Amino acid sequence: MTENILIAMIVIPLIAGLLSLLLPKKGCGVFALLAAAVNFILAVSIFNKELNLTFPWAGFGMAFSLRLYQFSGFIMLAAAFFGLLISLYSLSFLKDKDYRRQFYAYLLISLSFVNGAVLANNLVVLLFFWEGLLVTLFGLIVIGGKQSFRTATKALVIVGLSDLCMMAGIALTGYLAGTLVISDIHLGLGSLGGLAFILMAIGAVSKAGAIPFHTWIPDAAVDAPLPFMALFPATLEKLLGIYLLARITLDMFKLDAGSPLSIVLMILGAITILIAVMMALVQKDYKKLLSYHAISQVGYMILGIGTCLPAGIAGGIFHMLNHAMYKCGLFLTGGAVEKSTGTTNLENLGGLRAKMPVTFICFFITAASISGVPPFNGFFSKELVYDAAMQRGWIFYLAAILGSFFTAASFLKLGHAAYFGKSRKENKDAKEVSVFMLIPMITLAAVCVIFGVFNYLPINNFIKPILGARAEGHNFTGSSVNMTLGIITVLVLLGAIIHHLMAAKIMGGGIKAAEHIHHAPVLSVVYRWAEKKYLDPYEVGVKFVKIISKLLWRIDRGIDWIYESLTPSAALFVSRTIRRMHTGYYAVYIAWSLVGALLIMLFIFR
Amino acid sequence: MPSLFVLTPFLLLVVVNLPFKFLRKQIALWPAVGGMLVAQVVFSTFYPLNIGRGIADPFEQFFMFGLSLDSLSSIMLLIIGIVAFVSVLVASSMISEERQVFHFLNLILISVIGMNTTVLISDIFSLYVFVEITALAVFVLIAMEKGKFAIEGTFKYLILSAVASVFMLTAIAFFLMAVGSTSFAAIKDAFASNSSDAFLLKLGTGLFLCGLLIKCGVVPFHGWVPDAYSAAPASVSVLLAGVVTKVSGVYVLLRLFGTVFILNAALQNTLLLVGIISICFAAFASLTQTDFKRMLAYSSISQVGYIVLALGAATPLAFVGAVFHFFNHAIFKSLLFVNAASLEKRLGTTDMDKIGGMGSKMKVTSATSLIGLLSTAGIPPLSGFWSKLIIIIALFSAGRPVYAVIALLASALTLAYFLSLERKVFFGKVVASPAAETKASFGITFSEVLLAAITVAAGLGFAFILNTWLLPLKEIVH
Repeated sequence: MTENILIAMIVIPLIAGLLSLLLPKKGCGVFALLAAAVNFILAVSIFNKELNLTFPWAGFGMAFSLRLYQFSGFIMLAAAFFGLLISLYSLSFLKDKDYRRQFYAYLLISLSFVNGAVLANNLVVLLFFWEGLLVTLFGLIVIGGKQSFRTATKALVIVGLSDLCMMAGIALTGYLAGTLVISDIHLGLGSLGGLAFILMAIGAVSKAGAIPFHTWIPDAAVDAPLPFMALFPATLEKLLGIYLLARITLDMFKLDAGSPLSIVLMILGAITILIAVMMALVQKDYKKLLSYHAISQVGYMILGIGTCLPAGIAGGIFHMLNHAMYKCGLFLTGGAVEKSTGTTNLENLGGLRAKMPVTFICFFITAASISGVPPFNGFFSKELVYDAAMQRGWIFYLAAILGSFFTAASFLKLGHAAYFGKSRKENKDAKEVSVFMLIPMITLAAVCVIFGVFNYLPINNFIKPILGARAEGHNFTGSSVNMTLGIITVLVLLGAIIHHLMAAKIMGGGIKAAEHIHHAPVLSVVYRWAEKKYLDPYEVGVKFVKIISKLLWRIDRGIDWIYESLTPSAALFVSRTIRRMHTGYYAVYIAWSLVGALLIMLFIFR
Repeated sequence: MPSLFVLTPFLLLVVVNLPFKFLRKQIALWPAVGGMLVAQVVFSTFYPLNIGRGIADPFEQFFMFGLSLDSLSSIMLLIIGIVAFVSVLVASSMISEERQVFHFLNLILISVIGMNTTVLISDIFSLYVFVEITALAVFVLIAMEKGKFAIEGTFKYLILSAVASVFMLTAIAFFLMAVGSTSFAAIKDAFASNSSDAFLLKLGTGLFLCGLLIKCGVVPFHGWVPDAYSAAPASVSVLLAGVVTKVSGVYVLLRLFGTVFILNAALQNTLLLVGIISICFAAFASLTQTDFKRMLAYSSISQVGYIVLALGAATPLAFVGAVFHFFNHAIFKSLLFVNAASLEKRLGTTDMDKIGGMGSKMKVTSATSLIGLLSTAGIPPLSGFWSKLIIIIALFSAGRPVYAVIALLASALTLAYFLSLERKVFFGKVVASPAAETKASFGITFSEVLLAAITVAAGLGFAFILNTWLLPLKEIVH
């Protein structure tokens, strides 16, 4: 009987999502909230249980097989928690929007697919739900407005391409392992195994939004509805991407600390941290700045898991959870500011601290968390990652700590520009948002504090059971963190504050505190390229395809000209010439016949 | 019973010319000739089905030459019957004067006797004689209208036929010198045994080929074709294009070069070259023609090229394809000439620049002409597609891929010139309104529908036709 709850986890949100398309616009928000609440209650009820369910499906080893265990239950619980908060928040945020029904429908269907993907114990079932999320992703971006279709297409192409890689990886994995049942797959990293791992990892990290699969996220920050940003790039995609990355590194493949692929993952993580945070630093839009951090923070998770050390893996997964908390919270404060002032452009914001005190406090806590300030949760997960990175090589640690410095700097800039300083006339009417929007923000901020101060709660309940045997003999809770690294972190953060204060004083204003980095000799060129999208693989690819298609069009016109003009005129020319030869004199015709006869005789007697 | 195919029209000819007035009444004449031809069609259709075979021929002793009926002759008799019947039908609605009718029917009976005997005979000299008999009757038929063009067309045909006669007679003389007999069997043995003078045989073959190519009207021996076809009266052009040149030229070519002579490599290459040149040259030439009948004439040359090309491939399959294309071409080219007759009767001209938008006024003509031209261009599932397909497959399997590809490409040209014809004549703007709102006659409409129906039926029932009538041909090819 209890096995059927697994089916209910998939079916209930799906049916609720389809139903909400039929409901009147006023009721569908409440309905979606109820459905998300049911989903959450179900997720809580089955958390920490082990269930298996299999029934035949497509044949050829593709059974519809679901498996609930520690890890999947945890991810599902987190997803359901955020789904509930976002639907509560959207109740107020999307009050007057026309696309409400579609938003809630896509949200619930996405939750259903996330549950399906997480529960799947068959690679094909996993792929089915994984690809299904592509549809809701497209739908959620495209409802945002006129400009959003372009962004939605971009997201679809990028994520779709990497999903293709994953599909190839799944096929290869299934071929190598001889089974599609995930829990039975334990492969080494031989030449083909390594390829399969890379292909699967591309699918996982691109879902999480790592560089270079990230470029649609900042565009979506501008175009898509804000709750989408809080839901998808900030939480659900991180949960899924890191979940899959952890599964393939922990269970399906035997990735060891000595493996070159581990180094590749760590390098990818370090690059993602640095590039995205540098881009975040110079943004002048609330949401866009956050979206770059959503990319940057993935770097810590990939770096952590890539170390293949217990501390790193625990740190990576813990960071995923923490990131979902504070990034979701940050996006929600951004939404509150947008709702209240009508803009998210930092140049038009200022002095909101007094007008929106609750929002400001929530922002302060979540921003401190993301910057890794003790005793908030981000500090502890980052410390675990630092510890593991330091063991694998100081260069990775350096990248990570540098990333922390810039993260802190950019949030100091954001907070300074939006909440401190002079109040602008554009937002003099701003006031605190409704309670429906405040509850999710307060909840998230509170969780950030709880998971920080009482970090043994999530670590012992959620993280350690996932690691299983690997975690034995290790203690990841607060007291065991490497004290030296902790002190360095605090010093770096202090440095960031001092830097910000000085820069703001010299440049005149919080928003300009990072300008000197923007205009630094080499960096300014890179930034200019980035702003012109030269560094966006998608845009470059699109340009390249356009050039190719133009070229092909020219060739096509050429061929067409041969058909359209050259061939007919040549044929007509030949035809007229032949016609002129037929003069009508029979003597000529006899002459032709005789010449023809002569030629034939010569040919026969040759 | 092969002699019946000769004696029946002969008796009818005698009866028609008996000095009794009532017999000259056209009401009695048309059905008599038409009925005779229908009977011929019926008999020849059922020949391969083993009906009437094995009955001793009581009239055989009257002939100095041997008549033999085999699968190839029966198909030829069928074609002669169909096309001559259609020609008589068309004529019955075009010719009304009593004397003209009398002349026309006499001449057509003579030409049918000539053609029937040609396809049944098994002696090369007698064959020549009956080819000439056919030609003489047709010369007069072409010139019946007595206009300047009719005389010019006849004259060109006459002169070039004379040249052909010279070639063929000389060739027969050489065969007689080399073999000592003119019967097919003797010549065939001479080719097989190598005992006779190889040089004389070679010379004879070459000269006979040249003569036949003039009769076929392929490039470069085709000068007379466009003039003769376009100068002849409508009903005669159906007969001329449909069977006369086909039987007296192409059939003899198929019979001699397919079943009697042995094709050496040089002859094969000659036939292939002549065929492919005819296909391309004539297809290009027809592209800019402005007269409906001239365009059809060039198209005829091009289509005969396919038959010659298939013969040149010298395999049983190619021979089957050639005969099938012969049949199809006779049917759809007759159909198109009947269409031309219909236009001529309605508008008094076949100049395409003066015709336009007739599609809505002449629905049957426009629909059937579309079937005819699509079949010519080889569009599935019409009959022309299958015969071209067999020919092209045969060329490939005979190791002549270049010819196959060129032949395939030339089909596109065929489609091009026929589409331009269709656009000008049946679609587009109405250029000239009909001189008189004459109703289309029953004879023409019936022939159009009949021939179109045969084209469609032969295309759809292609497998049945291939198995019943065509594949037995493989036995007579050596």
